[in-house]
Amino acid sequence: MKLFDPTSKPVERAIKLAPRPASPRGLRLGLVENTKFNASPILEKLAERLAQRHQMTVTVRNRKRSASHEVDEAGIKALRAQADLVISGVGD
Amino acid sequence: MSEIDEAADPAALIEAYYDAGWTDGLPVVPPSDRSIAAALAATGLEGHEELGAITGRNAVVTAEKAAINAVMAGCRPEYMPVVVAAVKSLCAPAFAYHGPASSTGGSAIALVVNGPIARRLGINSGNNAFGQGHRPNATIGRAVRLIMMNVMNTRPGLLDRATLGNPGKYSFCFAEHEEDHPWEPLHVARGLRREDSAVTLIASNSLYQVYNHLAATPEPLLLCFADALGNVGTPNLLGFNETLIVFAGEHAEVLQKAGWSRLDVQRFLMEHTRRPVADYKRGARLPGAVTPEDETTWRYRFERPEDILIAFAGGRAGSWSACLPGWGTKWTRSVTTRIDPPSGGDTT
Repeated sequence: MKLFDPTSKPVERAIKLAPRPASPRGLRLGLVENTKFNASPILEKLAERLAQRHQMTVTVRNRKRSASHEVDEAGIKALRAQADLVISGVGD
Repeated sequence: MSEIDEAADPAALIEAYYDAGWTDGLPVVPPSDRSIAAALAATGLEGHEELGAITGRNAVVTAEKAAINAVMAGCRPEYMPVVVAAVKSLCAPAFAYHGPASSTGGSAIALVVNGPIARRLGINSGNNAFGQGHRPNATIGRAVRLIMMNVMNTRPGLLDRATLGNPGKYSFCFAEHEEDHPWEPLHVARGLRREDSAVTLIASNSLYQVYNHLAATPEPLLLCFADALGNVGTPNLLGFNETLIVFAGEHAEVLQKAGWSRLDVQRFLMEHTRRPVADYKRGARLPGAVTPEDETTWRYRFERPEDILIAFAGGRAGSWSACLPGWGTKWTRSVTTRIDPPSGGDTT
């Protein structure tokens, strides 16, 4: 008799990382809001601080369909094209 | 097959599955080549074929892994078409798996089985429909949870972050009682044919039973349901969600005798589950101080009548029915998948 493994490992896929910016100064900022209660205030406050300290500018604001959903394709495309740095997180 | 180890003692085998972290806390049925092959044959699929995927986790459910978990859960091979269809529902984009599977809310995955397959397999729709004592109910729901844990990596404390969870997370599967149904069965209400078999999945917070022994007309009876659904503590406040109501015999008879349609019931409940914003502010479920306008500004629980799913199950006697409040808001939607023996069906 033997054991049968009921588990699966995640399917591996190659992910191409964006080049790391050399400096935070003047970066274009993308904000991904997950729709939870305090997500937007936290992100906007962060953006305000980053603008003060590093002269970053918010160029994209993405509001997800819900916290359960991924950013949709159009959103990813916009973030990729228009932002150097993206902040995402749960605000609850 | 994935061979891990050998053991001669059945009890030791069961312990080995515990040691590997592959159980839901209950002992599993150790699979064999033969039992896995039988389960796989019942799907009509090759082991490597995919039933679905959870893209955000890079998790793919193959027929082989579904079969292994179903055998472990105690399923007979003929249950496999239901398990396959349930996995397809889990993987449907509309179900949005990550939220209901991982949330602190700890929802159960409730399976409602309709059509000829429910009768053929003997899935209980009558007395104690949510309870113990019926193998297909117990093991089909359990197979789905084991697949979630073992294949979709939804393990307690890791990607299952339930604060309390609920007992339905072990297994939650029942059939609709389609004979003497006051209206058309759930799968027909959702666009399938009466002769189709189907499974409907809804991510459900803990169910609560609604009791009314005196109501002889729909209005007072349904006011009890409205009160239960519209409570200030409901987690489903920030948007609109779904709820499954399961009417049992006596309550269904009250509605049927009065000539109320499914839509009549849904519209009544939509209207009577609304509450003023002030109620939610007093309970700190919405931020801010109560204003005079809040007393007359209504907040609805449901956006559309069809967001109140209605099924018919349970015993003929007893003034009990149940609400299964859906988890989340618009974050997840219930999904009905046609069962097309032997290989599962299309998601609607």
